[in-house]
Amino acid sequence: MNIQFKKGVLELCVLVVLCRKDYYGYELVQTISKNVDIAEGTVYPLLRRLTKEGYFTTYIQESAEGPARKYYQITPKGREYQEVLLEEWNRFINGVNSLIRTEDVA
Amino acid sequence: MNRERFLFELKRSLGRMEESEKREILSDYEEHFRMGLSEGKSEEQIADLLGNPRILGKSYAIDSLLEEPKEGGGVTAASVVRAVFASISLTFFNVIVVLGPFLGLVGVMIGLWATAVALPLSGIAIVLAPVAALIVPSFFSLSTMSPAFLVFAGIGTAAVGVLAVIGMWKLSRLFVRVVAAYVKFNLRIVTRKR
Repeated sequence: MNIQFKKGVLELCVLVVLCRKDYYGYELVQTISKNVDIAEGTVYPLLRRLTKEGYFTTYIQESAEGPARKYYQITPKGREYQEVLLEEWNRFINGVNSLIRTEDVA
Repeated sequence: MNRERFLFELKRSLGRMEESEKREILSDYEEHFRMGLSEGKSEEQIADLLGNPRILGKSYAIDSLLEEPKEGGGVTAASVVRAVFASISLTFFNVIVVLGPFLGLVGVMIGLWATAVALPLSGIAIVLAPVAALIVPSFFSLSTMSPAFLVFAGIGTAAVGVLAVIGMWKLSRLFVRVVAAYVKFNLRIVTRKR
């Protein structure tokens, strides 16, 4: 669980965000780094790997204000994976929180 | 660090990889710089927020080395060794965390292999001993053991040895897979840090 958790945090962030809508790389990186302190560049290797593993697909779309952008879209396999990671995350957080509360009382 | 420098460092640390793949990776960062600049950030600011291009490059290189080949096979021992060394070059921290256990385990594997290979060889030697004693009696004194006993003991030892070699072969493949998984895991932790 612990190893899975560490591996999964940034992965989970990317998956959760992409479950909502399609993002282009820059937009996705900004959304994540606004909330979580990361080196922004680390999101791109992750996106590439998860795309290769079949969790995302990509497409190019022209934009009104500039050159074409590469969009990422989650696949059904990606959604399934997101649910698994989210479940694990919640279990972990609940466990930690209940420990903290117990400490408070004692 | 400006845009040109960042892209140069990134490209250099991608290592051996298809040109088309390198171009794809670089284009993601080119797009990132384009977007950042259009929001009024400076090249230096954008590069600083992206992080260390050499670490980013290595993480692509390692992902690509550890990728499962499309048809058959798995990760090869050679690609795992390359991946281990690529991962070592990331940070000094890794010299202790990866290289130490890795070399230790490689040592154990070499020792086990030597034992496994020695067993069938000594089996053959035991079988041959009575023959050698016939040819050069002065060199071998087998008076206490019958030749028949030695032949069967030798065959037995050789059989156990062959089993040991097969076992080692399986263990080595497992070892390669475990090292690959560990390097991947380790890299994810390392690249997570700013």
